[in-house]
Amino acid sequence: MIRLNDLKISYRIGGRTIDAVDGVTLTIPDNCVVGIAGESGSGKSTLMKAIYGDIQSPMSFSRGSIDYGLKGTDGKPVTAENVRKEWFKTISYIPQSSMNSLNPVIRIREQFVDFPGTDSDKKRVLERARAYIGKLGLPPEAMDSYPHQLSGGMRQRMMIALATFFQPELIIADEPTTALDVVVQKDILMLLMELQEEMGNTILVVSHDMGVHYQVTHKMLIMYAGRVVEYGDTDSVFADPQHAYTKMLIDSLPTIGDDSMRGVIASQAGAGGDRAYRVEPNLIEVKPGHFVAQPARQKEGALA
Amino acid sequence: MGVLAYVAKRFGLYLAVLFIGLTITFMLPRLMPINPVDGYIGQIQSRANGTLTPEAIEEMRANLEVLYGLKGDILTQYFSYLKRVVIDFDFGPSFTYYPTEVSTMIVTALPWTLGLLLTSTMIAWLLGNMVGLVAGYFHKHKAASVLEFVGILLYPIPYYILAVTVLLLLAYIFPIFPLSPTFPVGEMTWAKVGMIIYNSLLPAITLVLAGFGWNILSMKALAVATTEEPYVTYARLKGASNWTRMTRYVFRNALLPQVTALALSLGMIFNGALLTEIIFSYPGIGLIMRTAATGGDYNVLYGAITLSILAVATAGLVIDLIYPLLDPRIRTK
Repeated sequence: MIRLNDLKISYRIGGRTIDAVDGVTLTIPDNCVVGIAGESGSGKSTLMKAIYGDIQSPMSFSRGSIDYGLKGTDGKPVTAENVRKEWFKTISYIPQSSMNSLNPVIRIREQFVDFPGTDSDKKRVLERARAYIGKLGLPPEAMDSYPHQLSGGMRQRMMIALATFFQPELIIADEPTTALDVVVQKDILMLLMELQEEMGNTILVVSHDMGVHYQVTHKMLIMYAGRVVEYGDTDSVFADPQHAYTKMLIDSLPTIGDDSMRGVIASQAGAGGDRAYRVEPNLIEVKPGHFVAQPARQKEGALA
Repeated sequence: MGVLAYVAKRFGLYLAVLFIGLTITFMLPRLMPINPVDGYIGQIQSRANGTLTPEAIEEMRANLEVLYGLKGDILTQYFSYLKRVVIDFDFGPSFTYYPTEVSTMIVTALPWTLGLLLTSTMIAWLLGNMVGLVAGYFHKHKAASVLEFVGILLYPIPYYILAVTVLLLLAYIFPIFPLSPTFPVGEMTWAKVGMIIYNSLLPAITLVLAGFGWNILSMKALAVATTEEPYVTYARLKGASNWTRMTRYVFRNALLPQVTALALSLGMIFNGALLTEIIFSYPGIGLIMRTAATGGDYNVLYGAITLSILAVATAGLVIDLIYPLLDPRIRTK
């Protein structure tokens, strides 16, 4: 169980401070796929970086705390201070740009063992990794190739293999399928979900694609302007969205034969600037496990 | 494309470059306003106090033209030149140091130039890349900008100013090194080798300093750009150490253009030899080239320039052949 307590993450740029994540409090249960949605600049990636423990200048932890509730490989609890030591052991990461996240000039097998990992015997790791990637639908020879010899889908499978190989408790996937075509996208997501079921760990998936969220996530987190707008079970959020912003996101999913989309896009364009919604950091539980920020209904003139 | 086809194609290109180079070399000295045969006859004439008859001069001219391959029209000269150079590596005798063969002169001077310039170019490249890599990889740290400053300071100084300054400083004001070096000839002994190294150190230092700055700046720029690549970020998020990321990720990728630069600068060492050898009176190819250019010594010029062409073209061939080993993306194309 991961607990975020009043988390505030800021960027200091040229004397100006921008609070990219501004007072986020929530609890993520174990064995759960959480989808995180929201427009660009809403603080999704910053929140993911903070949870992953990748905080470096100009980004800083200005308030609040993260309670991982995880045990590291040495048996001690994982904290914000030692989380970096647990990278690719208890907590791992699937990057957005699978196309160029592998070093182009060295073989993939070497990129499986050039970081600490949980096993210091590199030969044994490679043997097991060869067998492991077979399970993920990759030929064992893929380990011996260079990244450019693999297709985009294979490369992303390889990233998933790397992230899941050490059986981490928590995986952060930052838009894992953006660069892929829809068919491969679906395969990759299904693979990730299968692995999650097997491992029983927690995966945080950032995506702009509401369809993806609906298909694969157990819980949904909607972010807006650095704050949580709505958080709850995916079914409940999609069936009964409480906040006007969530409604708009869900309505943006096109349906075959539905022409009303055009109107939505037009009204979005008309509203123009950001911060069209006012979002308070306190969440109200409207149903068991379904939280929404206040005010849920926006004044006339705002969107929706 | 198979490996063989690749090598054959590169080699064909290499031969074509050599051929064009040789042709241009043949043409260039013939466009110079100095006629070596006239100069030589003039010398003999003055030694004989102008007592030579016009018939004797004509006869001498004919003999000299045969000797130096200047007989017949330009096409005949060209073919006999190609035959001699390509098949026998024979450039005839020197005009100035008659009857010394040009190939002998080159063979004597070549080890000097190669020894000094190859070594200093390699050292400058290695040091410059190491410093540049650290400066680039840690470019967010203030201390790293000191390293870059070394490059910015050294790079724009023209070589002749740098060389003369170092010479003044280390040989005149602080006489650590000899002002006019002496190089022993004859059979090599350990004492002589030591003496040669001691006497070559000063030119070597200036060459390293001159090449160093460019390598720092170039590698630093490449390393900074590479550090921002997604694969380096991903390696960091995997928990790979700074050392692994700096060497296996940033360096291995930033190295590729630097290898090209190294090979090209190795090809150009005979050009670099000119100034160094004149300033430090170092007995290499550069000194020979200079004497030949001022004296209209066709044959020596041919020899020295042909050597330069050979060096540049070979460097190009070597890049083409080793690049696929460093960059797997080229291998499969």
